Amino acid sequence: MDGRRWNELRRFQCRINTHPNSADGSSFVEQGNSKVVCIVEGPMEPPSRSQLSATEATLNISLNVTPFSSIDRKRRNKNERRIQEIITSLKRTFEQSIITDKYPRTTISITCHVLTLDGGLISAVTNSITLALIDAGIAMYDYISSVSAGFYDNTPLLDLNQLEENDLSYLTIGIVGKSEKLALLILENKIPLDKLEGVLAIAVAGGHRIRDMMDKEVRRHGELRLSKLANK
Amino acid sequence: MEDSDNADDEDGSMQNRAIVTPGELVTDDPVWMKGHGTYYLENRTYSSVAGTVSRVNRLLSVIPIRGRYQPETGDHIVGRITEVGQKRWKVDIGAKQDAVLMLGSVNLPGGVLRRKNEADELQMRNFLKEGDLLNAEVQSLFQDGSASLHTRSLKYGKLRDGVFLKVPSSLVVRSKYHSHELPGGVSVILGVNGYVWLRKTSDLQQQQSASHVGKDAAALSTRGNYSVGNASVTITRLEEESSWEIYSDVNDQISQSIRETITRYANCIKILAYCEIGITLERVTACYEASMAYDEAGKLIDREVMESIGDDVITAEKYRG
Repeated sequence: MDGRRWNELRRFQCRINTHPNSADGSSFVEQGNSKVVCIVEGPMEPPSRSQLSATEATLNISLNVTPFSSIDRKRRNKNERRIQEIITSLKRTFEQSIITDKYPRTTISITCHVLTLDGGLISAVTNSITLALIDAGIAMYDYISSVSAGFYDNTPLLDLNQLEENDLSYLTIGIVGKSEKLALLILENKIPLDKLEGVLAIAVAGGHRIRDMMDKEVRRHGELRLSKLANK
Repeated sequence: MEDSDNADDEDGSMQNRAIVTPGELVTDDPVWMKGHGTYYLENRTYSSVAGTVSRVNRLLSVIPIRGRYQPETGDHIVGRITEVGQKRWKVDIGAKQDAVLMLGSVNLPGGVLRRKNEADELQMRNFLKEGDLLNAEVQSLFQDGSASLHTRSLKYGKLRDGVFLKVPSSLVVRSKYHSHELPGGVSVILGVNGYVWLRKTSDLQQQQSASHVGKDAAALSTRGNYSVGNASVTITRLEEESSWEIYSDVNDQISQSIRETITRYANCIKILAYCEIGITLERVTACYEASMAYDEAGKLIDREVMESIGDDVITAEKYRG
């Protein structure tokens, strides 16, 4: 559609520590034309007693898809079923990957704002949450990198944009680090079972590439931070 | 054996500067003990945060580049009361969890040796209520990492006559003293947790500092190790001063010029935080002097001004060595 080859990612850019004064961890992810800002607060004292768990941290995720993010302007209800479903699956994913039992009696609150949306909503949000959590210094087992992949005319396609997403069946996966373990798999429509493996394979390869790019940004930022610490 | 130890150490110092990221294999040698910021699977130690590797004897830990304040015993901190409970206050100190301040670990009006009774329990809100700021010392840590505070010294207690400021806790350089008097009639408490309190220097404090000048510097040591001669002085002073006044909510008269100086200092600390320079007394003063080039304190928080002053402070420091 936009001149990419079937196994090419869209342009991926990320920044961490974008809001150093207002949050514990923050990140900005651009995946193609999708842009997501993520803010992490915590671990901190829970706002109410009822949310307190004596053994592990509780996770609060909120996802705000701005009304101006897509081509047609429409106000999305916060309680929209699709958004709620995404939040639930993100929560499950990150409860597994954060070492939650290191932070008993605390909450970690994650807020995502989707500024522009051009496909790959879940993957961009997942990547931004991973980066913001790392920035906040929260202990995680590994990176969760996420990418979508679709299937068209016997060829698997990587990292779809909105137009492609509308017409094709696609899945979104979240990969744990450099392994082939999946922390997240969302398939909202149908893919022939015999083609699934090929689609998954390119998605995993794409996820590893995204993980490398995120890792590079984390290291770049870390070096910068260390060099500043050096003249303390 | 010694050779291998040396090799290990060299290896350690070499890798000290390197950054590890979550999920990265730190070592597969089972002799290392796993510290903070790591986890292990099948005897391999992985990093769980982005940071630098630190090795102390056989303890291997990863220190995160950024993170919330982690209290340590003896830290001088500034906090805010969030809750008044049974015989205790909850204090927000910017850590993962609120700290507790027990009724037994504060000074109450009427002298040090006074026992706390039920009446005190009932009027706890008269001493400290929600939203009050105080400075305190971390007395001990609980199993889960939360802190217990105490204010059993004249240095600690409720704060007034000033402004509150928050900076990243990693920028506050730990030192022997965290409470300083600055030129211009302003005092600062640089809490280790990144909470800063700037206030007008009280008249009492000024007298004290005048009398301190004559004394031996060693006798002034903080952290509770008073020499015998000094202790007697402290106790009498404590009795004189631990009246209701230390829990008063009423601010003193603060002149316009002092208010402006406080604002200027506040913006100076913001500059240091913005430029991510470690905050020390010397740098705050240097920054204050550099800021004199701008007549209005409000101008200091322009982005370019912040950057230029930050650069000035660093370069000036390099010249001085």
